Amino acid sequence: MKVFLDRLSKYFGQVKAVDNLTLAIEDGEFVALLGPSGCGKTTTLLTIAGFYKPTAGFVLFDDKVVNELPPRERNIGMVFQSYALYPHMSVLDNITFPLRLKKVSRKERETKAKALASLLRIEDILERKPAEISGGQQQRVALARALIKEPGLLLLDEPLSNLDAKLRVTMRAEIKRLQKDLGITTILVTHDQVEAMTMADRIAVLETGKLQQVGPPEELYNSPANLFVAGFIGTPPMNFLAATLEKREGKFFITTERFCLPLPDSVTMKICQIPTPHDVIVGIRPENISIGQGEIRGEIYVVEPLGRDTLVSLHIGTEIIKVIAPPTFRASPGEQVQLTFSEEKVHLFDKETGKSLLV
Amino acid sequence: MAYKRGTKAIPYLILGFVAAPFLIMYVGFFLRAFGEKMVLGIIPAQWGIYNFRFLWQPITWGLEQTTMWTAFGNTMFFATLSGFIVTVICMLAGYALSRVEFRGRSFFLILQLVLHAVPGQILLIAVFFLLLYIGLLHRIPGVALARAALEIPLGVWMAKGFFDGIPWDVERAAMVDGCTRLQVWYKIFLPLVKPGIAAVFIWGFLFAWHDFIYVYTLLPGTIKVMATLIQSLLATEVIDYGYLAALSLIYSIPPLSLFIFLQRALLKVPIFGGKGT
Ligand SMILES: Nc1ncnc2c1ncn2[C@@H]1O[C@H](COP(=O)(O)OP(=O)(O)O)[C@@H](O)[C@H]1O
Ligand SMILES: [Mg+2]
Repeated sequence: MKVFLDRLSKYFGQVKAVDNLTLAIEDGEFVALLGPSGCGKTTTLLTIAGFYKPTAGFVLFDDKVVNELPPRERNIGMVFQSYALYPHMSVLDNITFPLRLKKVSRKERETKAKALASLLRIEDILERKPAEISGGQQQRVALARALIKEPGLLLLDEPLSNLDAKLRVTMRAEIKRLQKDLGITTILVTHDQVEAMTMADRIAVLETGKLQQVGPPEELYNSPANLFVAGFIGTPPMNFLAATLEKREGKFFITTERFCLPLPDSVTMKICQIPTPHDVIVGIRPENISIGQGEIRGEIYVVEPLGRDTLVSLHIGTEIIKVIAPPTFRASPGEQVQLTFSEEKVHLFDKETGKSLLV
Repeated sequence: MAYKRGTKAIPYLILGFVAAPFLIMYVGFFLRAFGEKMVLGIIPAQWGIYNFRFLWQPITWGLEQTTMWTAFGNTMFFATLSGFIVTVICMLAGYALSRVEFRGRSFFLILQLVLHAVPGQILLIAVFFLLLYIGLLHRIPGVALARAALEIPLGVWMAKGFFDGIPWDVERAAMVDGCTRLQVWYKIFLPLVKPGIAAVFIWGFLFAWHDFIYVYTLLPGTIKVMATLIQSLLATEVIDYGYLAALSLIYSIPPLSLFIFLQRALLKVPIFGGKGT
């Protein structure tokens, strides 16, 4: 099923929970709605499901406006953050409930439930009540219940947030695999950028109800459209430094009190129209800085070995930046070091608007 | 230590002192019911069930006569019907008030509380004429309807409270799964608030069972319920207290057993865990 959100808005009184959101989702695509808590993700999902009427705009399924359709007629499956299993029913009854409402025969119901149960590896607990199974199992049951009627659209609201860290990593992969196997259009709501990056084909980043950027994970990572997306995606987050963009003898430089960095042609091409000097924010990811030699001087603040690599925090003047160094890196606090930024990986944002100057 | 024990005893002493009159009354009540040939008016000389002879004999007073079983049956019918009406209406209204957004919802909720504060007696005359016009006066179902109406305001609040405890996500899940609102109500909500249903029913039942003024005013003298039967026996010239005590004992058995049931049911009202959004 294709989903199209057309200038969708949902206000609660003065609160603009969803603000003029336009988003097209292809059939079979896995899209994540990503944003901090309170940015309107759940509201968007509940509006798509039909629990909220849009204040303005349209929800389209397969090019048909469904604004007025009640949830039960939308052919969707949904997994809630709290799983919302029916406490008074056995696991099997929970899973087959949607089919019982459709008056599907008992035999067919149970065949389908058994097939899904084995796919999700919950065959052994079908007779139990939801209160008697673990959180991870409850979640699989909720998934099975959402999938059994073979919906055209699967909605997942923070499905992993109630699981422990280890189980979360397992379920992440399993849900992704299941989605690919079934080819079901899926919208995942999450505040966890790792979850969104690892699972989704495309990510839509929301903040205070507004769409910030939408694109495949690599695109959001490599070319964030603004400061918010740049800072939200990636761990440890991108480093930001205030600087001035200057042009001397036809070449662009970014200058701060501490250093002056010439920009490579690949970057210059994109900013040649910008009047100089211009106040900018320079963004550089921790893995795009190398310690050893270079023009930029820093002072080691703390070194945190992580096993696979080492996270180094250091001062450049009064600002602290984070650098990912090789696992063998050793230094003691207070030590002076020299740094190089990989110039091609530098991001530039307008200081006024926060918008990227490179896209 | 001694000092501590002394202070601890004080509340018990006060409570015992306050409870004593009631305790003595209840003991006297049992002595009366099962005692025969009372000495000095309160000490039974002999135990027996002679006072319970209404169980197999008709009850007479003045020129009238009935049996305990007729009155007991009438009371049971009256109270059950009243409890049933209260339950159905409160469960539907409680769900709507808990989950459906509509204009005047909070006004309606406050109105229920105000209505509950109105004593039933002052409505008697209006109820009398209402029942007369709809042809239900002097009939148990009619009076049960009127009696139920008095308990509905608070019952609605009770029912709303039970439904409020069910997470929104459970309701949304049911609607995504294909339920209509009514299906959500009876397939998901009612099973989840079963103890609440029992509580509301018992609530309606008990108040009807205990009612005197409505049945006395709105039923003819020929249709006796337990309350009006006991009143009739009290209004005769010679009062047989043992007989009355025995009759009252039978009258109080159903509410007593229901009270025990009510406690259990209320303790079982489901409590949901899990995070909501
Ligand atoms: N039913 C509601 N009534 C009023 N305000 C709401 C309601 N639901 C959500 N909001 C508000 O809308 C904003 C977005 O909420 P939500 O969609 O739940 O955020 P998220 O799921 O991204 O954490 C928040 O400011 C929240 O307080
Ligand atoms: Mg949410």
